[in-house]
Amino acid sequence: MSPEMTESEILKVRQGIKEKYDRVAAAGSGGCFQYPTGKDGMDLQGYPPELLRDFPPEVLAAFCGVGNPFSLGPLAPGDAVLDIGCGAGVDSLVAAHLVGAGGTVVGLDVTPGMVEKARANQARVGLAHVTFQVGDAEALPFPDNDFDAVISNGVFNLTLNKEKALKEAHRVLKPGGRLRLADMVLVAALPPDLSDKVENWFQ
Amino acid sequence: MLKVGFHRVSLIRYTGFKSSPYTEGALFYGEKLAAGQARDDVVSQAEPEAAPLKEAACKPGST
Repeated sequence: MSPEMTESEILKVRQGIKEKYDRVAAAGSGGCFQYPTGKDGMDLQGYPPELLRDFPPEVLAAFCGVGNPFSLGPLAPGDAVLDIGCGAGVDSLVAAHLVGAGGTVVGLDVTPGMVEKARANQARVGLAHVTFQVGDAEALPFPDNDFDAVISNGVFNLTLNKEKALKEAHRVLKPGGRLRLADMVLVAALPPDLSDKVENWFQ
Repeated sequence: MLKVGFHRVSLIRYTGFKSSPYTEGALFYGEKLAAGQARDDVVSQAEPEAAPLKEAACKPGST
C-alpha cells in the first residue's frame, strides 16, 4: 500500500474501483477502456481462434483483459487453476476449456456484480468444472499449495497492497506452480499534476 | 515477485494495450520453487514499445 495514502483515500480508491466495475458488470466493457476489448482484444492478443469459436459472442464481448496470460505457457489437462480478478469470467472459461473436465478452475473477483456476470457466462458456455466466487486478491480464501497455476489479467494494478497480493498468489500455488500475469504497468513517469490523484485508480 | 518467493521471474513482453500515455499492458511470469529445486533468480525484462494507443474510447486516465 502506498505509505502516503490516507485512510480516507484508501476507502475512496476501493469504492471507486468497485463502482467502476459495477458499471462494467451492468453495461459491458464497451467504451470503458482505452484499448480494444471483446473479441477484437482477444484476437489482437493471440487467443487461439479455434478455442474462441466454442464461445458465444456475448461471452467474448465481456473480455477486457490487457494481455493474454495463456501465451506464457500451456496449462496441462487436469490442472487446478485460480483466476485472480476474473471479472466476467472469460479467461476462467478459457482456462476451463484448456484443462478439460479433469481439471478445475476457480474465478475470484472482488465485485459481486462481476461474479454474477461470470456465472451467467459459464451457463452460456456450459462448462461445469469452473466455479466463481467473491474474494479479495490480498486475502485469498484458499489453503496453501492448492493450485497448479495462477492467472490474472489486469487486476494487480488495482490492488492497494501489491506485495500482499503477490504473497497470496505464491502461497496458494503448489510447489513448482506457475504465475502467469498480464497487467498494466507504468512505462513513463506521470506528470506531477497526475501522479498524486486518487482518481487515477478508477477512472 | 522475487521478494515474495517466486523464481524464474520475467517480464516477458509488453502487450501493446495502453490505458494512457503512461501505462501499458505487460506479461509477467514466475514459478514457485519446487522441493529440492535450486533457485533461478536470473531476471529478464523486455523494453516497452513506442506504440500508439490502439483505441481511444474513454477519457484519458481510464484503464
